[in-house]
Amino acid sequence: MSDPVDLDIGLGILDHQLVDGDGRNCGKVDDLELSSLDSDSPEVVAILVGGNAWRSRGILGRLLARLAGDAVHVPWGEVDSVTSVVRLKRPAAELRLNRGDARWASVIRRVPGS
Amino acid sequence: MSLKSVLAVALGILSAIGGFVDIGDLVFNTQAGAVFGFQLLWVVVIGVVGIVVYSEMCGRVSAVAGRPVFDLVRERVGFGPGLATLLAAEFVNLLTCAAEIGGAAICLQLLSGLSYRLLIPLAVIGLVVCSWVLPFEWIERVFGYLGLCLLVFAVAAIKLHPSWGQVARGFIPGSHTGGGLTLYLYFVVGLLGAALTPYEVYFYSSGAVEDSWGLKELGLNKVTAMIGYGLGGFLSMALMIVAGVLFLHRGISPQFLGTPPLAVEHVLSQVGLVLALIGILFAVGGAAIETSFSGAYNLAQFFGWQWGKRERPAGASRFTLSWVAIFAVAFLVVLTGYDPVKLTEYSVIFSVVALPLTYLPILLVANDRAYMGTRVNGRLANVFGVIYLVILLAVAAGAIPLLLITHGGQG
Repeated sequence: MSDPVDLDIGLGILDHQLVDGDGRNCGKVDDLELSSLDSDSPEVVAILVGGNAWRSRGILGRLLARLAGDAVHVPWGEVDSVTSVVRLKRPAAELRLNRGDARWASVIRRVPGS
Repeated sequence: MSLKSVLAVALGILSAIGGFVDIGDLVFNTQAGAVFGFQLLWVVVIGVVGIVVYSEMCGRVSAVAGRPVFDLVRERVGFGPGLATLLAAEFVNLLTCAAEIGGAAICLQLLSGLSYRLLIPLAVIGLVVCSWVLPFEWIERVFGYLGLCLLVFAVAAIKLHPSWGQVARGFIPGSHTGGGLTLYLYFVVGLLGAALTPYEVYFYSSGAVEDSWGLKELGLNKVTAMIGYGLGGFLSMALMIVAGVLFLHRGISPQFLGTPPLAVEHVLSQVGLVLALIGILFAVGGAAIETSFSGAYNLAQFFGWQWGKRERPAGASRFTLSWVAIFAVAFLVVLTGYDPVKLTEYSVIFSVVALPLTYLPILLVANDRAYMGTRVNGRLANVFGVIYLVILLAVAAGAIPLLLITHGGQG
């Protein structure tokens, strides 16, 4: 989003659904990268999705993060709108999201009726 | 209302009735009837009202906000507690799925005379193929309608001419005879757990999103939850009444899943037996699919994956892989030869522990105007919602100790 907006990060963004430009689910807002925390108005720089973004989310999150790879950083400029879901401007693949689905889809396509 | 929409509502109700009973209800209602007669009928009423209240609530949240249960769990309780809820829910789903598969294999065995071991893989393959090939509505309907064969239990209950005065007294909680207090309480917990199984709300709320419910479907939601599940509750009561008449005074303990259908045969001959077995087969088969899908819905919604049967299997590949994997693991659990009735008891008792964590986020979001606008809970829904949350917390606290003290209902 180009214009700055005020949001309750804890309740309004964190843990919400990410939807890509094609309207497909592409992960959750697992963590946020903030700028200038010591200033009066810190801004969200990027959304972190998956992998070690879970590190900061409690004991279970830390355990899970160890098993997963790196988080994907989605720059805040890629966000189209924030309602009860966070809508992105571009398709997931262009933002390196939903790679898990893409990987398994090629396996599942070999089964008849898929 | 047009004829077409009346028909749609009627069909929805029928499949809700047929889909209400699963292996947990079969096991706990007949065992409770065999030990305590009709004295625990009041618990069935409490359980059924609870599932009606929370199904209506989460169906409404799905219709208004388009958000299924585990989306809400993650948003409202956060990552850590949400993940703990997810793990508990998946463990219970898996155990329940295994119990339902075992039940389906026993029904097939009683119908065909083939060996149980051979029929386990056959049952699993049949269920996976149905889930893969059939569209969502078909799965819901086919298993729901054929599950209606369970109505023979209601016919049998009436034909057995129970003392209706005693049946009526069963709806009033009070002193009891036939077993110790802990055993009585164990059955209270089990009957509540069987009626309020968490996978039913996971499946119901995700199913509403699958069926693309919107504001137009709010009426359908109310009717399906109240009438469909309400009438489904009568089937649970019929199971208890049949067991109460036939098993209580003969000292028969229905530790084998084939025992309840034999009760129907006693009253309605071979045709009744076959109908009872077909009813159970499709009721537990449908429930096996619902539990495996619920497991996949939960995972996908927690991690934000694309999900749903509206997609081709490859279009939501991690979701597809999840439900196939749940079937596969459940298959291995059944293959160990562990008694499906015991599996059922454990799955129901453990599910009770996961219930408050499932229902709290639903209650919170159903009251949140940011999600629901003007369709937030009314006073009645909130009064019931809070009362049930308190009941569930008490029941959850008592579940495991009672399981241990009574040695799994053995007294």
